[in-house]
Amino acid sequence: MSHDVSPIDALAAHAEQRKDRRAFFKAAVGAAAVGAGAFLVSKPAQAQTLTDADILNFALNLEYLEANFYYYAVYGRGIPATSITGVGTPVAAVGGKQVTFQDSLLAEMAREIAEDELAHVNFLRTALGTAAVAQPAIDIGVSATSAFSVAAQAATLVPAGGVFDPYASDLNFLYGAFLFEDVGVTAYKGASSLLTNKTYLDAAAGILAAEAYHASMIRTTIDQLGGNVGLKASTIRGDTELVSNARDSLDGTSDLDQGIAYVSSGAGPTSNIAPTDGNGIAFGRTTGQVLNIVYLNKAQVTAGGFFPSGVNGTIRSSANNA
Amino acid sequence: MIDRETLLEVFDIAERRRNERRRFIKMAGTAVAATAGASLLAACDNDDDKSVPVTPTPSPTPTAGLPAGDVDVLNFALNLEYLEANYYTFAAFGSGLNTTLQSGTGTQGSVTGGAQVPFQDATVAAYAREIAADENLHVTFLRQQLGSSAVAMPAINIDGGANGAFTAAARAAGVVGPTGTFNPYASDENWLLGGMLLTDVGVTAYKGSASLISNKVILDAAAGILAVEAYHSGLIRTLLYRKGLAMPALRTNADLISNARDTVDNGFDDDQGISSTTINGGAASNIVPADSNGIVFGRTAGDVLNVAYLNAGAVSSGGFFPAGLNGNIKTSTAA
Repeated sequence: MSHDVSPIDALAAHAEQRKDRRAFFKAAVGAAAVGAGAFLVSKPAQAQTLTDADILNFALNLEYLEANFYYYAVYGRGIPATSITGVGTPVAAVGGKQVTFQDSLLAEMAREIAEDELAHVNFLRTALGTAAVAQPAIDIGVSATSAFSVAAQAATLVPAGGVFDPYASDLNFLYGAFLFEDVGVTAYKGASSLLTNKTYLDAAAGILAAEAYHASMIRTTIDQLGGNVGLKASTIRGDTELVSNARDSLDGTSDLDQGIAYVSSGAGPTSNIAPTDGNGIAFGRTTGQVLNIVYLNKAQVTAGGFFPSGVNGTIRSSANNA
Repeated sequence: MIDRETLLEVFDIAERRRNERRRFIKMAGTAVAATAGASLLAACDNDDDKSVPVTPTPSPTPTAGLPAGDVDVLNFALNLEYLEANYYTFAAFGSGLNTTLQSGTGTQGSVTGGAQVPFQDATVAAYAREIAADENLHVTFLRQQLGSSAVAMPAINIDGGANGAFTAAARAAGVVGPTGTFNPYASDENWLLGGMLLTDVGVTAYKGSASLISNKVILDAAAGILAVEAYHSGLIRTLLYRKGLAMPALRTNADLISNARDTVDNGFDDDQGISSTTINGGAASNIVPADSNGIVFGRTAGDVLNVAYLNAGAVSSGGFFPAGLNGNIKTSTAA
């Protein structure tokens, strides 16, 4: 896709490319209701043997990543050492930086989110007890080969080999957060129906909601700046479509992602804060699809991107979308 | 009340955002009813082909596969979606939910009040259209999942006048005085406050219901709707917080609405306003109504009805639902 088209054109083109894939995927999920066995078939093969602890540990890895990103952005350091121990060897996150926020409201929201994410880490660790995995190696640095830079290069926000520093400005921070938060929502949404324990399910639903609030805060704040010139696209809203498309290129043929570009209609311009399917329902990703994104790899791999040594726990492999 | 054109406008937005929507709705309905998914998948394979036959009205989904408990929960949610859809559709388009989406079991009621908001901020108007489209889709989706078991839209009061449920809520909250009127359609800011009142409740209702749902496919969908309600609520609370910098009354009024909900729902202080707090020595927002574990709180159905009925007692009607909800879940709990 050309990247110098207007955001609306980009969106239209994007919609064109994704419509058959998404309809197919959603229909496949709907079809799974038909037979008892079909549901599991539509999930990765590993889903058949997952325990609740496996799923919570998978979520814990993602929370480690999110919490460290926000902690660095707000405080200039990672989460406390007491919150990263567990099964495996804990590795402190390095490479993040404190953001010098210009917008005091954004600073206040970042502080709120940082605390929520640390609370999620601690809650999951408590729920898992001695089964909790340690924090794996996390790359939230700013070198030209960092996960953020590679992701931004894939999205064409920066040129090949260019650096993307999510701590350099309010807008860069928002883009970094945008990259994570929607993925968190899709991960919890995808995992919710896999949990068997009702108490865990209730908690996971509450964390899912919190992640959606966070994503909404970030998307709304970006949208309030949305008409300004973007890093690559003609507008900031257009930039978000580039990031969304990059994510979509990793997680398979299903389209599970949307930027915030406005859509014109007979009733007037319409925003896209909530990324939803044709039923007004938020997207979910399988664990494998989530790992495609955080590993920044569409192939079936067990490490890369934001987790250079992979995540800890039994759910480690991304899906094979290569 | 609403004309066909307005409904089409609503769905035009959805259509442009998700142009396979209608085909999916039709196909999903077919899939759940079918005994074999193969034909469905084959049909979807050709989705690019505009000539794929589409029936003009969604196929009802039989509820044979859904446990009675799930039907009750979905119908409870449907009542709430009727309320939200009417509020947002009126605000964005000046008319309510299309009559073709109002029928079902129980007593079909009408909507009292509702008006188009003269939005001043173009982005807020854009958000209103988005939320309205989503809520219409939620109504459509739930009705389709429930099929012939779907409840009818009950009587709904979203009036902006002195006798409106919004005014009663605003008086109870102290947003206006004991004889004051609160019209959520009067301004961008009032619409945001009205939206906060309803949408936060939607989040807590879906959160509280999630662990009660047995069917995994329905649970998956409900989780997705929960997330969307949280996106909406996050959007509205973020705007109130941001606009509250220059207009502090927005934050304090949001806090008052939260306190009023807390007064009627139960004995716990679980609801939260948006005013800033201090975390690790620095100011922080409070967009997310989360507990100390960072987990968004939920409400039981009874507690949700306390808020919707604007009544701390065990009653079966009042407030936004003057004739009560349709379906088996209809009584609020005594606080």
